[in-house]
Amino acid sequence: MAKITAVEAEPVKTVSPYTNPNQELRYKLYTIGILLAIVAAWEMAPRLGLVSPIILPSFSAVIGALITLLQQDFFLRHFTVTLTEIVIGFILGTAIGLSIGIALAVWPTAKRIAYPLVVGFQAIPKIVFAPLFIAWFGFGMSSKVVMAVVISFFPVLINTLVGLESVPEDARRLMRSIKATPLQTFRKVSLPHALPVIFAGIKAALTFAVIGAIVGEFVGASEGLGYLVELYKNQLRIDRVFAVIVILATIGAGGYFLLEWLDRKLIFWRDDSESK
Amino acid sequence: MAAQTQKPAPLERAAQGVPIIEIEGLGKTFAIDTGPVVALESVDLTIRKGEFVSFVGPSGCGKSTLLNMVAGLLPASGGQAMLNGDVIEEPSRKVGFMFQTAVLLPWRTVEQNVLMPAEVFGTKNEATRQKARKVLEAVGLGDFTDAYPRQLSGGMQQRVSLARTLTYEPDVLLMDEPFGALDEFTREAMNLELMRITQAAGITVLFVTHNISEAVFMADRVVIMTPRPGKVSGVIDIDFPRPRVIEQMQSQKFTDLIFQVRGILGHGQDNSS
Ligand SMILES: Nc1ncnc2c1ncn2[C@@H]1O[C@H](COP(=O)(O)OP(=O)(O)OP(=O)(O)O)[C@@H](O)[C@H]1O
Ligand SMILES: [Mg+2]
Repeated sequence: MAKITAVEAEPVKTVSPYTNPNQELRYKLYTIGILLAIVAAWEMAPRLGLVSPIILPSFSAVIGALITLLQQDFFLRHFTVTLTEIVIGFILGTAIGLSIGIALAVWPTAKRIAYPLVVGFQAIPKIVFAPLFIAWFGFGMSSKVVMAVVISFFPVLINTLVGLESVPEDARRLMRSIKATPLQTFRKVSLPHALPVIFAGIKAALTFAVIGAIVGEFVGASEGLGYLVELYKNQLRIDRVFAVIVILATIGAGGYFLLEWLDRKLIFWRDDSESK
Repeated sequence: MAAQTQKPAPLERAAQGVPIIEIEGLGKTFAIDTGPVVALESVDLTIRKGEFVSFVGPSGCGKSTLLNMVAGLLPASGGQAMLNGDVIEEPSRKVGFMFQTAVLLPWRTVEQNVLMPAEVFGTKNEATRQKARKVLEAVGLGDFTDAYPRQLSGGMQQRVSLARTLTYEPDVLLMDEPFGALDEFTREAMNLELMRITQAAGITVLFVTHNISEAVFMADRVVIMTPRPGKVSGVIDIDFPRPRVIEQMQSQKFTDLIFQVRGILGHGQDNSS
């Protein structure tokens, strides 16, 4: 049977005894330094005539476009549409991935039957469905939500399954020896044990939901940030294309940090999870 | 542990004749792809209330298999094991099981880990909480009730595991190499503590180990097992007085007993008492 590994859990940011705060600060400065260098190169390249400003507008031009864009009335509508598609797609995708993952983990027969299908489905590059979904569900938000769901549920599913199945044999034996019911074992042992891995899958799902929504909008839409990217590209207003990309990146990063924060709140025992 | 149990006062171990576990013709054969594997050939053994019985033998001689069947975690393929006269068919709350790893839940504090069985039994209340604290006190973890497992050493984690089992007051304690992963010093200390606590509470112990001197030092009887096929090759009575002290290990008698065990292990046949 084909095997798919779980999305790696994010390495934990613990304070290592070998790096002093000074060194940490130095690394942060390096990161910022590299970022500044990239921005500087971006700013200078069009100004020095190395690339045409039509192909690559300077950094300051992009910021300017961004500020103008944020002040437009129509912008909020497009922003809200895409954000809604992402959020609904992500929540549905996560819920579906969790449910199927749990079902396959607790019901071995279902896993035997359905797992090959799931793996086969994952082998399809699901982007190809985008035109189909537009045909089936129309130009509105629903086709984008479906796209987001279809590509985001899988990492949650597989990580839920892998996480629930990685419960140590001794822990199962312990629960059996005290006559715990399957539900008690699931709630008290399996689910919390799997949570770090499940969360890694959920974080990946968010990234996929963003991609799904945007791809859907590229293929056919009359509103949304992906639509704006297409529109501005065709109008050769590349500064605005970049401005929308900055906004999309902000949505992605914002969601990710929100999940990261939730993750740390919820899974406070994390740095311990692999040694047990 | 404070001897506040309702169990009979700690009489001389093994002196009492009341059987608690009776094993009759108990065997296990696993069916695997390459054919049947005899993990354990017919075992007959009676263990008395409050007795401490060690099981030694090389890897693969069926020690874990035997313990799992007594725990009701594994069905026998022949014969039967009885607890207080009833055939064991499923796990019982009168029987506690301790494994080589502590199996603590890292998201629970020490006290919450110890109370986990009570939650499963539906008996978590102020009384069990008090009991848990008392037992943690007894295993030397009174100051660590709110610590998380990752903050504890390996030895302390096994103490928590022991406390978790003792808190629900089992009559029988099954231990499968419980301290095998610990260093020599910690293990010795844990062994002494285990003997003290289980003797005070009158708990019957079935203790699996690879370590011959540990087996002899702790037990009222040592059951010697040999592999291929797994079977009991001999049983030796150990009549050192209790409480046991480390000095007993330096006596000639102790050395003789070790040799006796080694002899049986070496020949794989019954030449014991
Ligand atoms: N589930 C199983 N399926 C097939 N064979 C098994 C199974 N469990 C145990 N065996 C076999 O039964 C024999 C006894 O195993 P057991 O685990 O009881 O030995 P043990 O004495 O506990 O060994 P160790 O000291 O290494 O823990 C071994 O040959 C083992 O391969
Ligand atoms: Mg074993």
